[in-house]
Formats: sequence, structure tokens, C-alpha cells
Amino acid sequence: MISVADLLTNNRIPSNYFATDAYVRGDLELGLLENRQGDRLLAVPETLIQGIYAGLDKETGQASRLVLFNCGRWWGKNFYVRFCEQLTDYYSISPANMPMVDFLQALQQCWITHGWGKIELDQTYQHRGFLVIKIWNSPFAKLAPQGKQPSCFLETGILSAFFSQLTGRELHCVQTTCESLGSDCNRFVIGLTKRLEPAETLVTNLDHEAIMRQISS
Amino acid sequence: MHPQLETIFDEAENRYLKPEELSLLGEYVDSLPQRLEAYRSLRDRELKIMQSVADQLQLELPQANIEMLERSIKNALLMLRYCAMGMLLNDEAFVQERLLGWLSQTIQVYDTRSIDAVLYRLLNQRLKQALNPRHLALLGSMLLLAQNALQQPAIADTRH
Repeated sequence: MISVADLLTNNRIPSNYFATDAYVRGDLELGLLENRQGDRLLAVPETLIQGIYAGLDKETGQASRLVLFNCGRWWGKNFYVRFCEQLTDYYSISPANMPMVDFLQALQQCWITHGWGKIELDQTYQHRGFLVIKIWNSPFAKLAPQGKQPSCFLETGILSAFFSQLTGRELHCVQTTCESLGSDCNRFVIGLTKRLEPAETLVTNLDHEAIMRQISS
Repeated sequence: MHPQLETIFDEAENRYLKPEELSLLGEYVDSLPQRLEAYRSLRDRELKIMQSVADQLQLELPQANIEMLERSIKNALLMLRYCAMGMLLNDEAFVQERLLGWLSQTIQVYDTRSIDAVLYRLLNQRLKQALNPRHLALLGSMLLLAQNALQQPAIADTRH
């Protein structure tokens, strides 16, 4: 028989840790934002994001993509550690032992709550060794300077680091569609560097499906 | 707190509250002792109520996968706790924003809706026996809201 008391962990049922109104806390007097663990949160105004793009472009030109990508890598690495810490504390279970569904649901809510848009995993090409991530309403795409190719280099870095840490393998990430170019969402393809590299040059000419067909074949 | 109540406190500098606003506040304050009583009563009986629901559930669905049943029971406990808090605050938005969006996704993924339907029927029966009718009436509207929302097939998110 099922014992209800045994279903509780310390008399609690962990649920939605990243629920926006529970996760973000502010102290008006000190002007601080904190998360529910008491760690500082940083509010990034749109002007700052635009300024970073403009400043990097002026200082480094073409290389600004690489700079953003590497910043993203760094961010993603630390983000992964913090994310896992918070999950472990809250669910009393290590992310490695957590059902994938719950892990992803937490990631989705975390993404929304931090204001980075809505994130979804698309496993259509999983059997070919690629994972596709879709992000809607990304502030990094919305504020990016208009260009001819996808512009979310920061997110590309974050995602490649995050999923590298998660899987324990060095993974690369290439963006194939971008809201800044009028696409419905930002699509990021994650996979082994060697297999994904050809996609980098295809991005300017082909659409997402065509790129996927080429690199999967 | 109920959003309507929350907004009337913003007007302190401009004017005194209108009679209808005061009566809204009065209604809530008058209902608070009942709400507290209902809350305590549910809190103290939670485990017993849910254990008997769990036993019934297993009898009615002997073929069901235990893990699914346990998941369903856990989600129902969560729903009950959030509804109790929503009832105390008289705030449906609290239940909606904190719980329902998240939980309906979980329920969809794990596909426990048919077990949930049986569980909700048993739970509502059991609550009817365990709580006094005034307390049940207070909790009932929150529970109905939650159960209806969780039984709906998740609506495709169109906010993209």
C-alpha cells in the first residue's frame, strides 16, 4: 500500500522553485534584487545590452562575435553550477538523478523568470546526434544590431557550455535562425564540434531544415 | 492578498475608502476567522484524508502503475496545500500563478490525467465527510478552479 507520509520529503513536496514571484525578491531600501536563496541578482537594462553590442562592435569589430561567445561560455559554465546547486538544495536530489522531464521543466521556468525568453528542446534530430534548442522572445536577439546572420552569440556560448557540462562532453553550438532576422524563434543546434562545424558556413545561405539535412546526412 | 483588496490600499493619500470598498474589506475580515479555522482543520486532517484517498484509489485502480499513482497523489497534496493558502488569502491568482501553470505541464508530461480524475472524485467525497460544510464551501471554489484547470488538456502556448 502507498503511504502518503512517505511521499513527503521533510513534510514538503517540492514544486516550482523558479516561480517568478517566489524566486525574485527585491529590497527597495537597499536597491537590491535577490533570488530566494539570498544570492544577488543583476538587473540588466536594455540600454546596457545595446551598449555592450555597440561598444564591442566599435572596439573589436568582427571579433565581437567571438568575444560574446566566450563570455557566454563563461556565463553558461557558472550558470550551470548555480542552477544545479539550487536544484539540489530544493529537491534534495542531485540533478544527475532527477528525471529529465523535471530537470527541463525547471530550466524552462528558470529561463522565463530570468527574463531570457521561453526555451524549448526539440529532439527531432537526437538520433542523428544533434539537439535543437528553440528560444522565443530573447532580449539578446531583440536588442541586437541588424545584420545578415544570427546574432545571439552570447546565448550560443551559454548553451554550449551548459550542455557540455550537463553531458560531460565538449559540445559546440551554432545558431541557425534568429528573431533579429525575422524568424519565429531562435534555433540553436548543439552537437560535437567536428560534426557541427560545417553548419557555421551554411548559416548565411540555408534555412534551418536544409542545414539540418546537410549535417545529418 | 486578493488583488481587489490590494489595490484599495494604494489610495490612502487621495481619499477615504468608498462604502463599497470598505464593505469589501469588511467581508474579507469577517470571513477570516472562518478561513483560519478551515485552514487549521484541513492542515490537521491532511495526512488522514489523503491516506484514505490513496487507499481507495489503489482499490479502484488495482492495475495502475504505482509510480503513476504516487505521482498523482503527490500532485494532489500540492494542489490541496496551494488551495488552502489561496483560500486563506482569498486569492485565486496565487493558485493560478504559483501552481497551475507549472503543475498542468507536469501532469501533461506524465499523463496522469485519468488517474487524477478518479483521485479528485475520491478527494472531494472525502473532504465532504471530513470538513464541516462552511469550511468546505470556502475551500471548494479554489479546489474547483484547480481541478478544472488540471483536467483540461494543456492549451498550446500561443505567447511565442
